Amino acid sequence: MSAPNSSENGKAIILVVDRDPHVRELESHFLNQAGYVVEFEQNGESALEQARRIVPDIIITEILVPALDGLSLCRQLKADPRTREIAVLVFSILAAAGRAKEAGADAFLLKPLAEHTLVNTVRQLLEARTARLRRTQHER
Amino acid sequence: MSDEAKGAGGPAGASFARLPTGNRELDDILQGGIPENSINIIMGEPGSGKTTLAEEFMFANANDERRPILYLTTLSEPLDKVIKYLQQFRFFDVEKMGRTVLYEAFGDELAEKGLGALLPKLKDVIKTLSPKIIVIDSFKAIHDLATSPQEMRLVLHEVAGLLAAYNTTVVLVGEYRHEDIATFPEFAVADGIIELARNALGTRDERYLRVFKLRGSAYRQGFHAFEIAAAGLQVYPRLVSPVEAASYKRDASRTPSGVPGLDPMLQGGFWTGSATLLAGSTGSGKTTMGIQFIVEGLRRGERCLFVNFQENPTQLAHQFEQIGGKLDNDARSRLELLYYSAVELSIDRIVVSIFQALRRNTIRRVVIDALGDLAMAAGDAKRMHDYLYAMVQHFAVMGVSSLLTLETDPPIMASDENHGRLSHMSDNIVFLDVRPHKGIVVRSLRIAKARGIAHDLQSREIEIDARGVRIVEGRL
Repeated sequence: MSAPNSSENGKAIILVVDRDPHVRELESHFLNQAGYVVEFEQNGESALEQARRIVPDIIITEILVPALDGLSLCRQLKADPRTREIAVLVFSILAAAGRAKEAGADAFLLKPLAEHTLVNTVRQLLEARTARLRRTQHER
Repeated sequence: MSDEAKGAGGPAGASFARLPTGNRELDDILQGGIPENSINIIMGEPGSGKTTLAEEFMFANANDERRPILYLTTLSEPLDKVIKYLQQFRFFDVEKMGRTVLYEAFGDELAEKGLGALLPKLKDVIKTLSPKIIVIDSFKAIHDLATSPQEMRLVLHEVAGLLAAYNTTVVLVGEYRHEDIATFPEFAVADGIIELARNALGTRDERYLRVFKLRGSAYRQGFHAFEIAAAGLQVYPRLVSPVEAASYKRDASRTPSGVPGLDPMLQGGFWTGSATLLAGSTGSGKTTMGIQFIVEGLRRGERCLFVNFQENPTQLAHQFEQIGGKLDNDARSRLELLYYSAVELSIDRIVVSIFQALRRNTIRRVVIDALGDLAMAAGDAKRMHDYLYAMVQHFAVMGVSSLLTLETDPPIMASDENHGRLSHMSDNIVFLDVRPHKGIVVRSLRIAKARGIAHDLQSREIEIDARGVRIVEGRL
């Protein structure tokens, strides 16, 4: 199992997977403002490769992305020991909270973007992930 | 529910969070308000109330400093002028200014940089202000900056994409014309379109509000009258038939007419909840019979409403006392007299007042005297008929027995088409006649229709004296 990376300056890394340039721009702005480093991918396949390479703290993915849809991406991330600790937030125009949960997502948000909700959810996911990693280390 | 009441475009199961417009009646028309995260256009000629409606909406939703409401002026009215006039309305709250309601002038930037300034501006305000609502007034003025339709379409594509991505509700205000709807791209991206119009009706103007489009939601179709008052827009939603279809036999009790000799001709009186059309020429006794109908209800302990358009309440109360004797305080407290000048008022306002009185006082009997005046308020007999039909259906559902007087003299009411419509919507029709007979004037009454009653078909002579109309036994 790989522990998620943080950026060089210690900020959490978030990989955003969305093909809408406006969503990417706004997510980037509000997440940067909240103190996170944001990387982008526009389709699920390249996001999976990038996740394996950089192991971000969180992946925020739309369901409707090309090549590999967001739910399939989530399943593959959670099935792979290298990426299963990455928190996945499904952020979609589709009202599919149940399907996201089945796919193993850690949280679901419905679009459009509401920055306070987004940043709060990201913060909670990071806190939960940190607590989980500490427990794992303690058990070892 | 009737198709008209349901309106258009309401897919089953779809549900959007709504923002109140600040106007309860408009919220009813929109089935709860403006859907969140939508792009809306308020269109209408200058002076039609567009900015007032937009501002009412803004102040009604200005309750979170983290999510302020932003009003951007463009190249039409100067910002100072907008704010100056805003302050006359009761919904204006100076405490909200600069905190939850932000006014900003965008005109100079647009004038300098052109249409290309729009998208960066919207990105900037979203990133720096997190606005819950963005109002752009006038957006039509921005449209006029486009050097080509293609340029406008491309910019709007980007703007619509940005606004759809972010949780904000947008109102584009503009002096658009009807023909613009088919050609201007902002109407294609708009989720909601509300038109405000002003039409000349006789010597006065009537203002109308119409919802053209409300994507993914039902709404009440048609023209809804409104006025601009100190409180903002006072909207009178168009009356439509009640949800439940009326059955005139729902209440099996009878409502005595109060006219001596008439109830035996009706096997005991009108069905409770039925609508009776009382038609006749001027001076034939219609108003007198209407008063008798009300006095009978008062004697029986019922609450009653008399609506008239020609005599003020003092004059009318005098007539009531002449016919019904001096009313005691209890009876007087159960009588409500509504007087309107049909020349000055819209039918929508009259109908709203009638229903307010009905709901306030559990009214059992209503007289409307006379339909010709109501037609004058409506502008034409067809429109009056639409209102009347819906009103009578509501009366039936509420168990209110109504008597509607109809002059057969004025041309506006006398057409066969109009009589046919009125006949169709009435449960009972009673004709009063005055004509010379063997050198003397004879008054008569004939029941032309009494739905669900084996009524007397004969014309009967009537007499009118200080106590009212009565059927003369065995004559004519």
